[in-house]
Amino acid sequence: MVTTGVNAYEMAQAQFDKVAAILDLDPATRELLRQPMREYSFSIPVRLDDGRVRFFRGFRVQHNDARGPSKGGIRFHPQETLDTVRALAMWMTWKCAVVDIPLGGGKGGVVCDPHNLSLREQEQICRGWVRQLARNVGPVADVPAPDIMTSGQHMVWMLDEFETIHGGHYPGFITGKPVGIGGSQGRTEATGYGVVFTIREALRELGLEVKATRASVQGFGNVAEHAIRLYTQIGGTVTCVSCWDQTDQAAYTLRKGSGIDLDELLSITDRFGGIDKAKAKPLGYEVLAGDAWLEQPVDILIPAAIENQIRADNAPRIHAKVRILAEGANGPTTPEADAVMQEKGIFVIPDFLANAGGVTCSYFEQVQSNMNYYWDKDEVLAKLDAKMTAAFHAVSELARKRKLFPRDAAYVIAINRVAQACHDRGWV
Amino acid sequence: MSGPGEDVPRFDRRLFDPSRPVSRIGDGALGGKARGLLTAARVLAARGAELELPGLAIDLPALVVIATGVFDAFLDRNHLRAVLAEEPSDEVVSLAFRRATLPAEWLGDLRAIAVECRRPLAVRSSSALEDALGRPFAGVYGTKMIPGNQPGSDARFRSLTDAVKFVYASTFFHEARAYRRAAGRAAKDEGMAVIAQEVVGLRRGERFYPDLSGVARSYNFYPAGPASPGEGVVQLALGLGKTIVDGGACWSFSPAHPRSAPPFGSVRDLVDSTQSEFWAVNVGPPPPYDPMAETEFLVRAGLAEAEADGALRGAASTYDPRSDRLVPGTSRPGPRVLDFAPILVQGQIPLVDALRRLLAVCADALGAPVEIEFAVCLPPEGRVRLGFLQVRPLLVSEDAVEVSPEELEGARVVVASTAALGNGRQAVEDVVFVEPALFEARLTPAIAGEIESLNRSLVEAGRPYLLIGFGRWGSTDPWLGIPVRWDQIAGARAIVETTFPQMNPEPSQGSHFFHNLSSFQVLYFTVPHLSARAVDWDWLERQEVVARTDHVRHVRAPGPLVLKVDGRTRRGVVLRPEGP
Repeated sequence: MVTTGVNAYEMAQAQFDKVAAILDLDPATRELLRQPMREYSFSIPVRLDDGRVRFFRGFRVQHNDARGPSKGGIRFHPQETLDTVRALAMWMTWKCAVVDIPLGGGKGGVVCDPHNLSLREQEQICRGWVRQLARNVGPVADVPAPDIMTSGQHMVWMLDEFETIHGGHYPGFITGKPVGIGGSQGRTEATGYGVVFTIREALRELGLEVKATRASVQGFGNVAEHAIRLYTQIGGTVTCVSCWDQTDQAAYTLRKGSGIDLDELLSITDRFGGIDKAKAKPLGYEVLAGDAWLEQPVDILIPAAIENQIRADNAPRIHAKVRILAEGANGPTTPEADAVMQEKGIFVIPDFLANAGGVTCSYFEQVQSNMNYYWDKDEVLAKLDAKMTAAFHAVSELARKRKLFPRDAAYVIAINRVAQACHDRGWV
Repeated sequence: MSGPGEDVPRFDRRLFDPSRPVSRIGDGALGGKARGLLTAARVLAARGAELELPGLAIDLPALVVIATGVFDAFLDRNHLRAVLAEEPSDEVVSLAFRRATLPAEWLGDLRAIAVECRRPLAVRSSSALEDALGRPFAGVYGTKMIPGNQPGSDARFRSLTDAVKFVYASTFFHEARAYRRAAGRAAKDEGMAVIAQEVVGLRRGERFYPDLSGVARSYNFYPAGPASPGEGVVQLALGLGKTIVDGGACWSFSPAHPRSAPPFGSVRDLVDSTQSEFWAVNVGPPPPYDPMAETEFLVRAGLAEAEADGALRGAASTYDPRSDRLVPGTSRPGPRVLDFAPILVQGQIPLVDALRRLLAVCADALGAPVEIEFAVCLPPEGRVRLGFLQVRPLLVSEDAVEVSPEELEGARVVVASTAALGNGRQAVEDVVFVEPALFEARLTPAIAGEIESLNRSLVEAGRPYLLIGFGRWGSTDPWLGIPVRWDQIAGARAIVETTFPQMNPEPSQGSHFFHNLSSFQVLYFTVPHLSARAVDWDWLERQEVVARTDHVRHVRAPGPLVLKVDGRTRRGVVLRPEGP
């Protein structure tokens, strides 16, 4: 889903090419890594509730599995394209590598709009998707997870279909399952908490006390919610949050100088993450334009919505006070905007590091599911912190040593690890 | 009063960092014990040169303090305050706390400790309230030793988080609630920090323990023999200090007279009364999972095991039955006796000198009499390690109270003692006493329960009282006295310990019990049953009965009884009101 006409796959390849040059990768490795190893594209027939049969286009891309089974979400979106899925699969490879978990990168999707489908119809899509791929995915091959407009319920349908086909219990086939049916404690919070773990470390490196900082957040979904919660709990103040209004089909920014009250806003939020503006105003919130979140005089920006939100055209409007950009969303910043960040001296925590808490916890879920032994939440979150903190410092140290932009440093670490695995396997 | 802890550096995910002997996790207060450790660190840093002795090194074992902010966040985010409002049983508190999640932002730090530390850790409470009130809540909150010997960091992490939750839960156990109530404080006033500190010791097979642990005080409430109160006192025990804090058998001596044995009647008595068991951290196969048991990872062993471990080198003498003497050391066969003679008499290591210096330096630094805790390791080779575990000021009442010898013989005397403890004057109308005609040593556990119920109603009514019973109060051995915990008698302003023909132990409370006596400034009278002036039971039995249980009576005098102890002469007296 690319909303601004930028081809995500081309962007991902351009990023890869830049780092391949830094690493001086050999041509064979470059050729292997700049495109997916496997792609599946297929039709899913579904009998709709009104009796008609409709075919939905489904995809699965396995970019690289040199380091372990492919891992990546399944997105339901009307504007899904194979190129988007390719790009996201590639980013998954780097994301798993940068936090050093033994998984490769994959992504899947179905061109559909769940808003217009009943639960039964969505279930049929899920089961149809698995029927098409049952022999190409699984606990030791490719492990899907929820993504945009898919949930734990979708994962359970898919798991049930997979287990029906294979005749056994394979909870490690898929992650993002509800707790109680093979899901992991802490998975809901993991991505947002992971963002804050990296922010905490960045603040320490910059010598800033979290209690003295303010943040502005784009998006009010799961990632934003848990990032706001933990950031607030450790003493920070979120003054601004933007959200998508499903009715108006437009984004708005809500601002409160003294700091937003997360629970108060959640109580007036719809299931798509839209905050009720009319109810927010009497609570002391100013309602501003959708991209006003970007211009706030805060220390930290957390884009936690969708891709390409910080671009060459709006990046100059970022306030001079901003010190950290923590990318909770995938690909929120275009390469052109990265240049502006460098000029402004903003410490960018790149998406595939900042939001890797989700896939890290998915990996924990997979491990637990494969063992059929589940950890308590303390254990999950402690391990998540350890992974995220270690990954952050590896990136930060390399960036400092080699004077690299943090995104490039993270890519260098990730691509180097994947390339090494391919070499070790004798593929290149 | 502890500050926000800003003067202590943040934990940098390295426990054994020589540049940071003390660090903290989280914000908020650090609590009383942590303050003591910070003082210890400061004393060592500033005056370490004065403490240098050949062959002995004094250090502060590595530690990290989990500040009260983490405790508050734990209670709030898990909605535990609502659970606690009902004052549930200890079991319900334990379960609720064990199920709750520690604050996410600090879990990574705890995991770093578990990953790094492969040796035993002591996880202790450090109460903000005890810091605020300026007196230790000794033995009220939980302490847990964890072994650190599990091969996987996951298991070590679980035992660490379980231990932290155990300490948190113990803040709301029945005993702690009663203790706070007696101190006039509510649960909401309490903030709990937790200290995770390296245990000083050596691994010996499946046990890990120091060669000796000790508590030293620069002022002695129990002077014996040639000692005077100002010379202080030291208690030593083999193994972990739990033996001392629980009031078990240990060796007491004055640092000014280390060769003087405690006043035992005979060598045989001494053999029978000295320490015969010790505590160690269990570093053997994992014990049954019991995260809410304080002793989950502890083992008790006897002297034979200690000797096999090579741990009696500095601690034991050998009883020679032919000469009815003790011979320092273990070179000859015979029963071993823990009198620490190789150290105290033969001076194998300069421990006494080190303790004298440490007490003097700490008393000077704090400007008050002090109590210190320590543990000593005697490695087979290299320097002796003296781990400095705690320092805190001792509360010594300065009120001038005089009790003349004549007063002990007066007509209004209900209790007279020439071995009283504490210093000061009290007035109470209520007396709780164990009925002499109904007392038997086998009944002491039941009597403890009866006293607890009377204490509860007296505390609720806000009526301080005088408590009179037989044998050693607070004894862990029910045959030596009434095995009450402090919270069961916390409303008593004065306590009388009278001996009984079949129960005649040396008065020697555990250090926690002792501490509570001094910190609550409770007067303590020891009255041998054979003394010229024993307790006036007849007068007591004539008083108005308020309540009566199977073996204990609560009476009320028609006016205030006057209780006085002269701390310098150790004379104490309880005088009944004027009148018949």
